[in-house]
Amino acid sequence: MQHAAEIVVQRLTKDYGRFRAVDNISFEVARGSVVGFLGPNGAGKTTTIRMLTCYMPPSSGQARVAGFDVFGQSLQVRQNIGYLPENTPLYPEMRVEEYLDYRGKLRGINRTARRQRIADVAQRCWLTDRLRWLVGKLSKGYRQRLGIADALLHNPPVLVLDEPTVGLDPSQIREARKLIAELAGRHTVLLSTHILSEVELVCQRVIIIGRGKILAQGTPDELKQQCARAGAAGARLLVEVRGPSDQVLSAVKALPGVEKVQVLTDGPVQSLAVMGRLDAQLREQIAALVVQRGWALREMRVGGATLEEYFVQITDPGTSQAAA
Amino acid sequence: MSRIIAVAGRELKSLFYSPVAYIVLVLYLLFVGLLFSMLVFIPGELANPQPMFEWNHLILIFIVPFITMSLLSEEYRSGRIEVLRTSPLAELEIILGKFLGAMGFYCVVIASSVVFVLTLVAFGRPDFHPIFTSYLGLLLMGSMMVAIGVFFSALSEHQILAAMSTCVTLVTLGILVGFVRQLVPTAWFAATQIRHVLGYMAIEPHMANFARGVVDTQNIVYFLTGTGLFLFLTYVVLESRRWR
Repeated sequence: MQHAAEIVVQRLTKDYGRFRAVDNISFEVARGSVVGFLGPNGAGKTTTIRMLTCYMPPSSGQARVAGFDVFGQSLQVRQNIGYLPENTPLYPEMRVEEYLDYRGKLRGINRTARRQRIADVAQRCWLTDRLRWLVGKLSKGYRQRLGIADALLHNPPVLVLDEPTVGLDPSQIREARKLIAELAGRHTVLLSTHILSEVELVCQRVIIIGRGKILAQGTPDELKQQCARAGAAGARLLVEVRGPSDQVLSAVKALPGVEKVQVLTDGPVQSLAVMGRLDAQLREQIAALVVQRGWALREMRVGGATLEEYFVQITDPGTSQAAA
Repeated sequence: MSRIIAVAGRELKSLFYSPVAYIVLVLYLLFVGLLFSMLVFIPGELANPQPMFEWNHLILIFIVPFITMSLLSEEYRSGRIEVLRTSPLAELEIILGKFLGAMGFYCVVIASSVVFVLTLVAFGRPDFHPIFTSYLGLLLMGSMMVAIGVFFSALSEHQILAAMSTCVTLVTLGILVGFVRQLVPTAWFAATQIRHVLGYMAIEPHMANFARGVVDTQNIVYFLTGTGLFLFLTYVVLESRRWR
């Protein structure tokens, strides 16, 4: 009897002395899915991942990876997990092939299978032309690929990647994402990152964590809807007007239903973010105002709910209480 | 077992990739060569290599820390310890692998002194029995020294610190304890017992027996318990680091 969830985390907590890095979090990751583990730096992502990969034991709570308990069956968990730590630590004096061979030995893969697996992961991670290179001579992008190749070497059901795209250039990031997207279905992937667009592109589900707590989880679309709903009490308009700056600002502020006006760029042409009540018919009012004063309306649009805004909104200490 | 060999093999190779290994080898040969030319290779005397082996530990005290300093401290510093400890490897496999890798290199170092034995054979007829027991002694002594090095390497992420603390410990056991033993005043309470204990702690008398051609269980037990003790302490350190 196998569980449909490959990673099950129940009330996991980690204390460093008096500092609680991870606070009573619970979540599940379904088999074959790519889940983004999102949070600002210092939110507890790496700590959670380190507990899941058996690098450190939890202070309390439970976690099961591939059906094994991370505390009681640590060896089995480690056998079923492929892990890419932050910053991809490697041995610079070894050759790529040699390193993969060594890692295969550590996982108890026999010689023939090892050769096959190395050729396979090298191909999947576009490393074939670098197998004879010294690891220390590889560029950051290739080092990252080598790290992912290492994580894939024993064909583990679960992959845990800690910030796999940090320090890569844009084209390398795109390649890395392509690779990760390809892994979906064959592996269960937990991907930690603080880059939002990455999550929107490759992840089926997102778990947002901040100050050790889970703030939200769901599909990227669900989160966007939540964000839109959270913002439903107030509409957000982006307005660009050509006119005398002090007058424009005060006039817009004076409109009924306007709650807050934020100046995005100042000058002869101003762009403003206007927050106000949804029922106040702000767009009509602003249009009428501009026409009446003889200014020029250059642009007006409703600010869409992006995951980015939601993220900032719920991880920001000031507003998070309401969102959580 | 195959995992231990994999770790040990990697460690041994990586020691040879670093310039430290060659410097260590050259220095060792240089100083053993000095011992050899000053105390052993004397025309008209018996072809007796005993002094060369008896004082070998004085050189190795300063050689072993360089072999062992990076074993674990470099893994901490680079973050590779995380890769290692999230691999399906038991703590003991990591420690034994590192230990055996360093021992492999240590064996290469002491084996290089065979050139002096061969020189002796070319010019005289040395007794081979004490030479064999001397190498056995060097091997056992080395295992304790390397275990001490592994332990200090597990304590710090700075390899210089690891090398220095290993060196201090080895100097204490290899030289200082012997001196202090001589200094214990006879008038002290239980002076003979204290001297006895200190004499047992020092490396030198244990190695001297092997150099003379005597294989005594007491000496073997001394080196093996030393090895076991420090490898166990390393295990304790590694295990406790997880909980921090």
